[in-house]
Amino acid sequence: MKALILVGGFGTRLRPLTLSVPKPLVDFANKPMILHQIEALKAIGVTEVVLAINYQPEVMLNFLKDFEKKLGIKITCSQETEPLGTAGPLALARDKLIDDSGEPFFVLNSDVISEYPLKQMIEFHKSHGGEASIMVTKVDEPSKYGVVVMEESTGQVERFVEKPKLFVGNKINAGIYLLDPSVLDRIELRPTSIEKEVFPNIAAEKKLFAMVLPGFWMDIGQPKDYITGLRLYLDSLKKKSSPKLASGPHIIGNVLVDESAKIGEGCLIGPDVAIGPGCVVESGVRLSRCTVMRGVRIKKHSCISSSIIGWHSTVGQWARVENMTILGEDVHVGDEIYSNGGVVLPHKEIKSSILKPEIVM
Amino acid sequence: MGTSEERVVAVIMVGGPTKGTRFRPLSLNIPKPLFPLAGQPMVHHPISACKTIPNLAQIYLVGFYEEREFALYVSSISNELRVPVRYLREDKPHGSAGGLYNFRDLIMEDNPSHIVLLNCDVCCSFPLPGMLEAHRRYGGMGTILVIKVSPESANQFGELVADPVTNELLHYTEKPETFVSDRINCGAYIFTPDIFTAIQGVSSQRKDRATLRRLSSFEALQPPNRSPPSDFVRLDQDILSPLAGKKQLYVYETMDFWEQIKTPGMSLKCSALYLAQFRFTSPHLLASSDGRKNATICGDVYIHPSAKVHPTAKIGPNVSISANARIGAGVRLISCIILDDVEIKENAVVIHAIVGWKSSIGRWSRVQAAGDYNAKLGVTILGESVTVEDEVVVINSIILPNKTLNVSVQEEIIL
Repeated sequence: MKALILVGGFGTRLRPLTLSVPKPLVDFANKPMILHQIEALKAIGVTEVVLAINYQPEVMLNFLKDFEKKLGIKITCSQETEPLGTAGPLALARDKLIDDSGEPFFVLNSDVISEYPLKQMIEFHKSHGGEASIMVTKVDEPSKYGVVVMEESTGQVERFVEKPKLFVGNKINAGIYLLDPSVLDRIELRPTSIEKEVFPNIAAEKKLFAMVLPGFWMDIGQPKDYITGLRLYLDSLKKKSSPKLASGPHIIGNVLVDESAKIGEGCLIGPDVAIGPGCVVESGVRLSRCTVMRGVRIKKHSCISSSIIGWHSTVGQWARVENMTILGEDVHVGDEIYSNGGVVLPHKEIKSSILKPEIVM
Repeated sequence: MGTSEERVVAVIMVGGPTKGTRFRPLSLNIPKPLFPLAGQPMVHHPISACKTIPNLAQIYLVGFYEEREFALYVSSISNELRVPVRYLREDKPHGSAGGLYNFRDLIMEDNPSHIVLLNCDVCCSFPLPGMLEAHRRYGGMGTILVIKVSPESANQFGELVADPVTNELLHYTEKPETFVSDRINCGAYIFTPDIFTAIQGVSSQRKDRATLRRLSSFEALQPPNRSPPSDFVRLDQDILSPLAGKKQLYVYETMDFWEQIKTPGMSLKCSALYLAQFRFTSPHLLASSDGRKNATICGDVYIHPSAKVHPTAKIGPNVSISANARIGAGVRLISCIILDDVEIKENAVVIHAIVGWKSSIGRWSRVQAAGDYNAKLGVTILGESVTVEDEVVVINSIILPNKTLNVSVQEEIIL
């Protein structure tokens, strides 16, 4: 079985992190974002994953070589020379997605994290016999998104409404699709929107069905949602009683600590924290609701909350970092510095406090 | 005694990537020395100045960038100016004088009688022939280019005191807290090969002191030695300051313009200074509105031959337009740098801005800033491939590469 992951864009909303690596390789819960999806696909028997990309292909291709071997799944790239929207890339990758088996293929949006109940989705697809299945998820504020209006009992999709002013429903497109090969005949090789052009056509023929996604869902394409997403993800690990979660007297709530990370004495870590490979957390440090990426050193007595600390950065002694501070790669926050929402580009030293949210170039 | 065999080698320090974050966001896409001012890469201006020296044997560019970043430029400029230009990469920081010393064997290969040392990120008229002549008269080891600035701003630089008659350097101090002098170091020097002996002297002195420390057990209890490694030699603190007043160093004063190019805002100001200089040195480079076929030109304007400008556009003063840019009908450009492959659509207005490579400015849109070269958001900067949609207004803002603006913004940095 095959799958396509829409990687697309420049990831500008996740800057400054995406100034160092392309977005799918930004770590989430100690693993490159795209690896979460590739592993879920491998688990249900997908043998080949196509990445639809248009930016920094060399970096992606290097990453793929490593993971192809480790995971035992074939990973290829389909590179757009001009942006093709959300449907065009499928036409571009046509030859890679169709084989003689006639099996449906998955399409995932790379910004999304969720439980990935892909096996259930396959069964749902078989049971309704339509041409396309999409996952939808329930949200509190549907008018920020594209709402999917569907018949409750069968899941048959009636229509899509972009950012509706009046309430028409609370289910939105979760960015996970299972499509029959015949869908590719509906997509031309030009910039095309799957929500505005392709799906409405299939829905009109009553061949598009939606399944409500069980479990959590988050679009982690921007820092605020990334931090919320980590909470949801760690929560779901807890529900499954995952052994990956850390435990101990210095741990509160759900915390992920890579086995190569070191944590000093007298620390209090959690809730909702991920500490990456090779990190050193010195003694007396307080971490809550934050992500600490590979190779970071957090010095003694400092306090970090609701922030993301980029690869190989350091946070000085007694520093206080909070309120959506995002440190890019190789940023060094001096001792005793306070950062309130500083967004710092890579390779900087912060020698004076940032009192209100600002971008430091 | 000058002979016709006297050769000169020039060394231009170009710096490196991680140190210069002040030039962001432009430095995210191009090494600062290659950013164009008045239509030519920044480093081109000191290189052209070196070309005015008789018997110039070689120009070396010294920096921390990867060789491949300079390979194309160096080969094309060597051909164009018919003088060998070579890029040398420093493997680790040696300090401003240590870097020169690090490559002394290469520099001395041509057996030069004089070595010119320039900083790339200085915007200056580089009066090198006059300076060389003065250096010969003084007969010292080195001559420093100096300029008079306002007393309030002098403490950002190295301040010098010189004998008004002999021009000997009497005193030098780097960024002093109290006022010393309103004459400052421009970052351009001429040395005789004795400079290498002087730098080596500093190195060995440091080594001896370090060895001495190890012998004293009291010193061994002190916290780790914070002084730099022995081969790290700074020109200002380690050479100029100690040698002042010893009849070895002299000054040569320039009355022309001088600025440091540290930020993108300053690059716009310096582009204007070089455009003004072209009017005297190379007027054929500047655009002029002759006849109805060409656009209206005010003041100093550079337009690359491959750029297309609609005849109804009005360009200038202080505008520089790079290769393959397309300027549409009715466009007004004032005080801006338009980089390669930019498209500016009909009736748009750009004032006090830098528009990055391949960007697109929509019809009737307005990209402008107050024009304060020193303020963080004083010049609007659009990074590479930024799209400003029709009728959108962008004021006093910095937009990073690959963004599309479909709503107006003011006083913002957009990542």
